[in-house]
Amino acid sequence: MSEGGPITLVVKNGARRHPEEFNKEKLHSSLVSTCLSSGAPTGHAESIARRVVDEVLIWLESRPEVTSNDLRRVAAKYLKTYHPDASYLYEHHRGTL
Amino acid sequence: MDILTSLAIVAFAGLIHASFQLSVSVLTLLSGHAIGAKKSQGRVLRMTSSYTLGAAVMTLLVLCFVCLIVLHIFGTTVPLLVWALACGLVAGIGIAVWLFYYRRRSATTELWIPRSLATHLHNRSKATHDSAEAFSLGLTSVIAELVFIIPTIVIAALTLLGLPGAWQLAGIAIYTVVSSLGLFIVWALIGSGASLARIQKWRVENKHFLQFSGGSALLVLGFFVYVSKVVATVTGAF
Repeated sequence: MSEGGPITLVVKNGARRHPEEFNKEKLHSSLVSTCLSSGAPTGHAESIARRVVDEVLIWLESRPEVTSNDLRRVAAKYLKTYHPDASYLYEHHRGTL
Repeated sequence: MDILTSLAIVAFAGLIHASFQLSVSVLTLLSGHAIGAKKSQGRVLRMTSSYTLGAAVMTLLVLCFVCLIVLHIFGTTVPLLVWALACGLVAGIGIAVWLFYYRRRSATTELWIPRSLATHLHNRSKATHDSAEAFSLGLTSVIAELVFIIPTIVIAALTLLGLPGAWQLAGIAIYTVVSSLGLFIVWALIGSGASLARIQKWRVENKHFLQFSGGSALLVLGFFVYVSKVVATVTGAF
């Protein structure tokens, strides 16, 4: 994590790629994008994304390294509380094809 | 075969083509990325329209190309052996659809296509920002599914070549429109503001039905054409 806390590394899909530092802006924008795709208005999407990112940050506090799949699964779990349709899309977006 | 039966076969082949899901999956992804990127509803509609048009145009081109190849090699009288081979191909692909069309362990609509191709289409749908790119993505999506749609196209082409000229054009139009029905429906749903999650959930819940009906319909098509063309000609019914 950034902002002075401990750094969490995200291991991407595919072993050949180097782990990268967790980027909360990236998570936020992907959540906003999914909420918009599910029909949420822009303001509501931003608000949901902020809350989910905060919950994910708490979950990350004790974890020095996570996989991108874990991150997606956990974010989808928190997102389900606020927008079940968006959560469904977020969790399964790689399985559409 | 009379004109009505021939056109019915072409329409049925088009309907089987419409049950295949790759183009619909890419359309869902494309619209999801476009809406998520805060593009206006008008722009999303233009992109999805261009994509659908691209897929329809490529279907038309592939069908015409197969017709041209068959016409060039055999003329208007196609040997019975070719009909029999085409029916065998249709039946074989029907069984392949039952077995391989969706990945078995996947809880979503993950298709048979190699993962590298799926990733490429996924990335392209994300990187598509205007109508021209969406049109070319529509063209590509039909090419990517060629393995499964070629039997229906071959049967349609063989059937069309037995028709008078004007009816051939009508048959080509019927195949193109019917095979694009799935895309038209999803395009209309997206245009009317339906939730992508609901569309995707419906597709996941009904994927086994679509897979079974698509495979079964191919077997029925192969059997019907074999009986009505090959067996009927050999036994002298026509």
